[in-house]
Amino acid sequence: MTDWLSIEGRSITRRDALKHLAAAGLATAVGGCGGTDEDGTITLRWWSTQGAPAQRAAYRTQIDLFEAAHPGVRVVFEAMSDEGYATQLAAAFASGEVPHLITHMPSFAVQGYYAHGLIEPFDDVIEAIGADEFYPGANDVYRAADGRYVGTSIGNTAADMLWIRRDLMERAEIEAIPETWDELRAACRAMQGGGIYGAPLPYGLNSANSLTFIGFIHRAGGSVFTPDLEIALDQQATYDALEFYRSMLELCPPGATGYSWGEMLTSFVSGATATGLYAGRVLANVAAQNPQIADSITCALYPRMSRDIPAWTYNDFPCVCIPSAASNKAEAKLFAASLFDPAGYIPQLHAAPGHVLPVLETVAENPAYRDNEIIDRYPQEIDLMASAAAQGYNLGFETTAHQPNTKAGEIIASNAIAEMVQRVVLNDENPQAAVGNTVTRLEEIMRS
Amino acid sequence: MHSDPPPSLEKRYARIGVVLIAPTVLVFCAVILYPLISAIYLSLFSIYTPTLAGEWVGVDNYTALLASGDFWNAALNTLIWTVGTLMLQLVFGVAMALLLNQSIVFQSLARSLVLFPYFLSTVVAVLVWRWLFNDLYGILNHVLLIAGLIDAPVNWLGQMPNAMISIILVGAWKYFPFVVIVVLARLQSIPEQLYEAATIDGAGPFQRFTDITLPQLRDVLVVVVLLRAIWDFKEFDLIYLMTGGGPVRATQTLSLLVYEEAFRLNRMGMASTYAVAMMLVLLGFTLVYLRQTNRLEEG
Repeated sequence: MTDWLSIEGRSITRRDALKHLAAAGLATAVGGCGGTDEDGTITLRWWSTQGAPAQRAAYRTQIDLFEAAHPGVRVVFEAMSDEGYATQLAAAFASGEVPHLITHMPSFAVQGYYAHGLIEPFDDVIEAIGADEFYPGANDVYRAADGRYVGTSIGNTAADMLWIRRDLMERAEIEAIPETWDELRAACRAMQGGGIYGAPLPYGLNSANSLTFIGFIHRAGGSVFTPDLEIALDQQATYDALEFYRSMLELCPPGATGYSWGEMLTSFVSGATATGLYAGRVLANVAAQNPQIADSITCALYPRMSRDIPAWTYNDFPCVCIPSAASNKAEAKLFAASLFDPAGYIPQLHAAPGHVLPVLETVAENPAYRDNEIIDRYPQEIDLMASAAAQGYNLGFETTAHQPNTKAGEIIASNAIAEMVQRVVLNDENPQAAVGNTVTRLEEIMRS
Repeated sequence: MHSDPPPSLEKRYARIGVVLIAPTVLVFCAVILYPLISAIYLSLFSIYTPTLAGEWVGVDNYTALLASGDFWNAALNTLIWTVGTLMLQLVFGVAMALLLNQSIVFQSLARSLVLFPYFLSTVVAVLVWRWLFNDLYGILNHVLLIAGLIDAPVNWLGQMPNAMISIILVGAWKYFPFVVIVVLARLQSIPEQLYEAATIDGAGPFQRFTDITLPQLRDVLVVVVLLRAIWDFKEFDLIYLMTGGGPVRATQTLSLLVYEEAFRLNRMGMASTYAVAMMLVLLGFTLVYLRQTNRLEEG
């Protein structure tokens, strides 16, 4: 086994790392501290923003496996929401009542908390999982300015894929899946009608709008920040993206002005829109809720302004991380590492097939992972999402040239970018004024 | 050897009084005074919420508040929401109380059912209403489309003025039962002889309402208005769950602004400043309320 990493000047194998973690866990259990019951049972609290019923069942399997292997340790799962995790964690950190493990939060949020000393370095857990089992560069997004890893991804997610109905394309005599904005707009216009809308873009005052729109800026050839984190929003690409977004409003359902992730998913899955913008959860939801269109759906990279602009896929790199104020950290690290054990990790990936994609190359190649009805039915879509997510970015990691942006979490939580979109698209305000206003707000956040 | 004279009975009673009142004072200090002083204290700092670490900024937060367009926008929205929903609560509440004061079939059942919105969890109520307002599957749009009143689904929560009107209506539906409870109790204590005398004098139903019922309800309505104004002014969950303050900031009230500053932007100091500003406004309401109740007691 070649898995090793230099920790404090010496090399250890993966087996050693697990032994050390286990020994530390035992010592803590014997010693007893916060999170330990009177009978010596250690309770670990696991918070996640993804708690769909199938995923909860898979988490239960992982918890059972861990508890069976570690008598005296109990794990309790608690769900957060995509829109509410910042609030819950702010309160948790402030009160000191933090969970032992957090998963599925975006990577940029973890970087932000780490910058304030709220997150535990994760290098030893990555080593325990097996650093060379990850896809090359998979953990780059989690490398902090001090060179340490602050977490890892529990999976990859290609969050803004274009979903499209081939049956509606045929009916509208559209031969190829749109690759540019002009083609997308024309296709949506041709497919719209009879109670079906063209697209469900999110225009709500929420993180879905901000995160999605950042992708449009990149697909117009721009970025929100320069690589050295100067604000770059006031540029032509932003105005082009705003103009495109505004032109798409008439092709979206009326309620799109309040849409977030849930509505975006439901509108495509239910057949209310001809195209969709979402991650791989579409596959399982269509199979379960609207199987009539299951043979007609496919996905592609979301169109960009022109073909000479490279594609840009939003990947939130859903995290696994440990708060530094958590008690029983050794057990928490053991549990974090156990989440990647194929016996539990593959069922977890199968709970949201195509939505949470493996970050371990060894698991992606594992026949047991491919042995799933959805993954078997949509191999091209799964492979496309896997490659897109592997090359994905987000506001904390806009390109490989960008420094980690530790303020990205607060920028998204502030809804400043979503508000800019609403000002231009809904209020018909002057784009320059709206962008200028947003730049001022981003400056305040970056300064704070 | 000189010794102090024993304390008088009055002094001993005074000491016992202090001992007896001490628990109440301590509880008051712990749950009212401490948070109040903490909020004012925090408002003088720039504080990062998750760590509660920060630095002294003096009155800078207050200067920023007064110069902030967000504050004045939220204050205006709070005023529109409070006045709008309060007016509807009063109209619906008084009308329903008058109806329930009549001898109607299933009177007891009706009186119980009318309280249902008030006792329903806000989260549940909002989920139901969001579903009713849904653009694609909401029954409201469905009925209006079938009736031919609209050609396309109405965007109830995502555009103005619909969003503000919608939250005002839902707020009125949720809270009007409080007005019903209070007004109905007062209606039942109005002497029947007043109505009989007025009827003998030739007064019609409208005159009896304006000349007897309304004057009799006046005092209780003043108290209801003040209490509901205070509660509506600081309403958070209903508005946050219905619109999140959007579109843009068109339904963002002061409570939502405090939340945004404290937990989204992690600026606890600035959030405390907004909270102190809210508290000052509420203090005004409270003083009016206390004055009114004192006047009633004296009357």
